[in-house]
Amino acid sequence: MNHPLANKVPNLALAAIALFLVVGMPALNAAGSIEDFTLNTWGKYLCYAILAISVDLLWGYTGLLCLGQCLFFALGGYMMGMHLMLMIGKLGAYKSDLPDFMVFLGRKELPGFWEPFHSFPFAALMVFLLPGVIGGIFGYLAFRSRIKGVYFSILTQALTYGAALMFFRNELYMGGNNGFTDFRSILGADIRSPETRRMLYLASAITLVLVFMFCKWLTTSRYGLIQRAIRDSENRVLFSGYSAANFKLFVFVICAMIAGVGGALYVPQVGIINPSEMMTEKSLEAVVWVAVGGRGTLIGPIIGAVLVNYLKSWATTKYPDFWLIIMGASFVLVVLFLPKGIVGIPAQIREWLARREGRRAAAAEEELLTSAAKTK
Amino acid sequence: MAGWGRRAAWLLCVLGHFATSSAQETPAREPRQIVAEAAVLMDVDQQKVLVESLATSSAGEVVPLLNKWKEGEIYQYQDAAGNNLAVLLDGEPDSDEKFALVALADGKPVTAEDGKPVRMSKDDLYMADTDSKLRRVMKGVTDRLALSSPDTAKRLRAVQDTGLEQDLEKLPLLEQLAATEKSGKVKDALAEAMAMVKLRSEDMAARETAVKELGKMGSIASQGAIKTVRDEADKAGQVSLVAACDKAQADIASHISFVNSAGTLFRGLSLGSVLLVVAIGLAITFGLMGVINMAHGELIVVGAYTTYLIQNLFAAGINMSPFGIPINIPGMNLSGNAWGLYFLVAIPASFLAAAGVGLMLERGIIRFLYKRPLESLLATWGVSMVLQQLFRLIFGANNVQVESPAYLSGNWTVNDIVFGWNRVFVIGFAVLIIFLTWATLNKTSLGLLIRAVMQNRGMAACMGIRTERVNMMTFAFGSGLAGLAGAFLSQIGNVGPNLGQNYIVDSFMTVVVGGVGNIFGTVISALGIGMSVQSLEQILGDPVTGKILVLGAIILFLQWKPSGLFATRSRSLD
Repeated sequence: MNHPLANKVPNLALAAIALFLVVGMPALNAAGSIEDFTLNTWGKYLCYAILAISVDLLWGYTGLLCLGQCLFFALGGYMMGMHLMLMIGKLGAYKSDLPDFMVFLGRKELPGFWEPFHSFPFAALMVFLLPGVIGGIFGYLAFRSRIKGVYFSILTQALTYGAALMFFRNELYMGGNNGFTDFRSILGADIRSPETRRMLYLASAITLVLVFMFCKWLTTSRYGLIQRAIRDSENRVLFSGYSAANFKLFVFVICAMIAGVGGALYVPQVGIINPSEMMTEKSLEAVVWVAVGGRGTLIGPIIGAVLVNYLKSWATTKYPDFWLIIMGASFVLVVLFLPKGIVGIPAQIREWLARREGRRAAAAEEELLTSAAKTK
Repeated sequence: MAGWGRRAAWLLCVLGHFATSSAQETPAREPRQIVAEAAVLMDVDQQKVLVESLATSSAGEVVPLLNKWKEGEIYQYQDAAGNNLAVLLDGEPDSDEKFALVALADGKPVTAEDGKPVRMSKDDLYMADTDSKLRRVMKGVTDRLALSSPDTAKRLRAVQDTGLEQDLEKLPLLEQLAATEKSGKVKDALAEAMAMVKLRSEDMAARETAVKELGKMGSIASQGAIKTVRDEADKAGQVSLVAACDKAQADIASHISFVNSAGTLFRGLSLGSVLLVVAIGLAITFGLMGVINMAHGELIVVGAYTTYLIQNLFAAGINMSPFGIPINIPGMNLSGNAWGLYFLVAIPASFLAAAGVGLMLERGIIRFLYKRPLESLLATWGVSMVLQQLFRLIFGANNVQVESPAYLSGNWTVNDIVFGWNRVFVIGFAVLIIFLTWATLNKTSLGLLIRAVMQNRGMAACMGIRTERVNMMTFAFGSGLAGLAGAFLSQIGNVGPNLGQNYIVDSFMTVVVGGVGNIFGTVISALGIGMSVQSLEQILGDPVTGKILVLGAIILFLQWKPSGLFATRSRSLD
């Protein structure tokens, strides 16, 4: 395995996959070989993959199981959604400049914090900023008091739960229960036309590749080394003079932003965002993708997100009653038998073979010894 | 206003009349005979006298009769001899829309001369009419009957209603009743009602006394009436009366705020108890064993559905077909108090059912993951999804009906503060569970083993304790407690597949705040969280904001005490 080409092969394969996702799929769609619906569905999967990478960067690389990643995903989505809501203009059901739900709530004018969202660059900035700031505040509080392990998970779960409760309220002027929907246009283009959809898909694919490359760089840098050291033994990192809290805070904020971007790309493609997107179940689902794909790798989460969601689309139409059972049970099985996920299967087989080989060798040796003893 | 004196005189006259008439003219006649006679009379005044005479009979008989009359179910039938007879329609109409007739007076079927039963259609009969005056008299009679009802609760209701009516004509009646009333509660209500009636008195001094009295009583019901009196007095420029009203209003307001805070305290205590019961099982599995069981909520649901099944076994039986497999278990068809006993059976049954499921969970999955707590979180979450869907497939996606036994419904009111029996029960049950848990952990040999293994697994194993077995039993015990919580939640809310999900975040927070591994901490934190949520709800008038604030407060609280209220001290890192 030490052949110089052996290390290049996976990289080449990755590049080929990336090329296919970024160039191949949209081209085939433009040529008519891939249906618009399929491309749209894949666009959604790729957004999930971005979310999954952010979960994995925290969980697989830093040992922080965050059950609030979908909160950041949804926050990013909401920021983009606010802009899209304002872009509807007078085309809504009430023919008003205000978003429909505000008219419905009897609001006469736009709340102040909505004003700047008329501008796309501002909305795009907020997609990074809001998840980043919220993640920063929460992370600062949590890491400063050295909350870790399962306590961290439970606390992030509580944060998500609290935020969802807040977004369900109409008084927040974020659409309440129904959230945002019925978008019309993005950057002046009709959001429902195949061309726009293709561009949105392309944006998701490129973002995914960029996020992947960024994370690859991050995890192979010196920073990534400390990150993994924190995962494996935080105390030793502390005793070596590193401020583990700052490192964790940094990765937490980065991951919140990545998730936010995923959400911002997700919302125009599915056309709706509501508080149910930030329930804890959604975060756990994202964790499932990572676990199934293989955590501690960067390709694992992508495989997991696409595969599980593909399976979900298939099972929820064919066996709607049994989807949750299939997912729950497969999750249990993965946790019990495939701790490294799908990506880890070859290594697991190799290990198993090696063990068997070792046992066989030991047995042969023992036999040799006993027969030698007998002959004496 | 000028007419009230005359009307009161008339009332007294009628009362007097009825006293003599009931003594002399109608000895021992049954109410239905009286109604039968009155219904066919032509003279309204005579009808009134007869109806008035019903006021001393038992309400159970009279009220339905009068209602029938009012609603036009009594008809007049002229028999062959030309006598008018009050009759009721009986049974189902035949093909010609004709009914059999029953005489109201004796309940016997009406027969023609040849002995055959008479059948007539509604159109052939005259309805026994009532005019508005007669209906007023009837209402007077029913009110009077209610006021003297032997049932204390009904009497109390009637007295309160009379107070709210503020009808001066009823004052003598109330005074008469107050003189003979035995029950303290009704006596208080009578005093309140009389004072409220007096608010409408022509005599301003009387009004002022009444207002003062009501203020002293802290009468919540009279708020509106006092406000009216104050407005009138304000217009008429009666300074002292206005002042009295203001004083009374302030008194009542302070009484209300006292009642509200006491109610909040009580509700907070009961909400805290709910949290406590839900979290105590988690305090065992999570706190002592370190297992993150996300399926804890579903173990609660197992307990709740067990209660549901036991309830059905005590009634009509179990009849369902999950996955197309028909299950028919005949029930015991009990009702009333005997049926109510189901809950006493359901308590141990739900404990055992949930403990059984917990046992399987531990043997099948969790024992492989003791060293990987984060993964036990994920695996048990998978289990929770499977279980939720199974519940949906077996019991349906909708909530099922679990009825509380009679001894758990009803209220207990002290000084205007309402204590619901089920909430009182919730608190009592929580105390019982805490005691049982404490006793199990500290007074039994299993408890000794559990504590030993949880403190130092390796050392315990060296001493010959079968740690595997202890793990199993501990987890089953914690799961069983979740089942108990389910039995208990079934009595205060809906039972459905998602029941557990509503409590999972709350109960984890409760355990974390209390300090993992410390049962006493869980108790304190559950009560604290319950109280804070309820008080914030009271102050903000909005349950959701309160909850969000409490979640935020918990995150900040953990800044100050990262390992909860009562941290387990240890020298080990991690």
